[in-house]
Amino acid sequence: MHRIIVNFKYIGSGVALTLALLLGSLSIGVALGVLFSILRYSGISRLFINGIISVLRGTPLILQLSFVYFIVPSILGFKLNVLSAGIIAFGINSAAYIAEIVRAGIESLPQGQFEAAKTLEIPTFYMWRDIILPQVIANIFPAMVNEVIALLKETALIAIIGGMDIMRKAQIIAAEQYDYFMPLCIAGIYYYTLVLFIEFLGRRVEKWKFHARNS
Amino acid sequence: MLEIHNICKSFRGVKVLETIHLHIEKSAIFGLAGPSGCGKSTLLRCIQGLETLDQGTVNCRGRIGFMFQDFQLFPHMTVLQNLTYAPDLKDKDKKAEHRRQAESLLRDLSIEFKGDAYPKALSGGQKQRVALARGLMANPDVLLCDEPTSGLDVSTTMDVVALLKSINKQFAVTIVIASHDLDFLTKISDRIALLKNGALAINIDPKQYADPVDFLKRYY
Repeated sequence: MHRIIVNFKYIGSGVALTLALLLGSLSIGVALGVLFSILRYSGISRLFINGIISVLRGTPLILQLSFVYFIVPSILGFKLNVLSAGIIAFGINSAAYIAEIVRAGIESLPQGQFEAAKTLEIPTFYMWRDIILPQVIANIFPAMVNEVIALLKETALIAIIGGMDIMRKAQIIAAEQYDYFMPLCIAGIYYYTLVLFIEFLGRRVEKWKFHARNS
Repeated sequence: MLEIHNICKSFRGVKVLETIHLHIEKSAIFGLAGPSGCGKSTLLRCIQGLETLDQGTVNCRGRIGFMFQDFQLFPHMTVLQNLTYAPDLKDKDKKAEHRRQAESLLRDLSIEFKGDAYPKALSGGQKQRVALARGLMANPDVLLCDEPTSGLDVSTTMDVVALLKSINKQFAVTIVIASHDLDFLTKISDRIALLKNGALAINIDPKQYADPVDFLKRYY
């Protein structure tokens, strides 16, 4: 029993890194993803943005993480710590998926919403900020919760560059105690609890924020 | 008030409007009739500037308001927010005045009790009134209405006739209505132009005819 508690505590100390990776990469992912999808509607940058998204979705995340951690510092001449490399790699990768989610959300809106904004002489910036994006966010919210859950699970890849997250700590215990069952179960419990919490939070926000207009 | 000169518009090589000439008098109610797909909505969109013209010009002395066929209210905003958002953006110092104007318009249109409701909670007729009110918030000189009676029952259509007539009188606004409903158009319009295959077939004063609907049907 004592060993279980010690293992729980040790693996649990990796939650902080997992959450830091999740929140950091989600911030980058949402900001870049929305920017990518809006830039896609401005003629010149469409091909460029489509190219970036295609590459990010078409190559493994583990490759992108390795590239950011091992290659980028040698090109730019400075060293990235594990957390920064993770946030950048997961964030940029997530941006590609979020851009697709946002694109689907924008395309699901009737063209008339853009035209109504135009006939009311609403400037482009305000049209996107106050008319289009609030509707898009309401439409894509469930898909975004899915993306957050996927991102949380993808952060486990940080272990390959030495990040001491939940998964890495479980592996360390497994190697020390020659027992994979218990540490992996504990890691699973932590991840599953976090996922349940995100789902709960998502449902609450959806109900609180988007319920009134649909009732 | 509104001069449409030699307008042509095509989509991917298919001609939708062909050399349309129209002169619309100030404070008139002008009907655009014709079967579905004849180019009525495209003509309204060209007047509003939602389509680029292949050829021709539109000259309008004054502001233009537009009421969409499917209203296109902003679903995440309340009725009052739908009305005041754009005017508030243009003139932030007059927010209280815009709110008073919106409330007054809602009273005129008998939906003052729906100010805080979201569009989803409104009936078709109420949405239409909100769309009209939004179009009138900018004090337009010309109001373009695309199929304002589509999907409405006979009784609500009669309400729309009365409503548009009263708006025309009260605000001295020129109203251009595109509709395939000839009964509705002959009841409300000072003049009716009938489009067929994108070209102007006839332009009449319905009061000059004993049975204008029957006369117009001959050109369908």
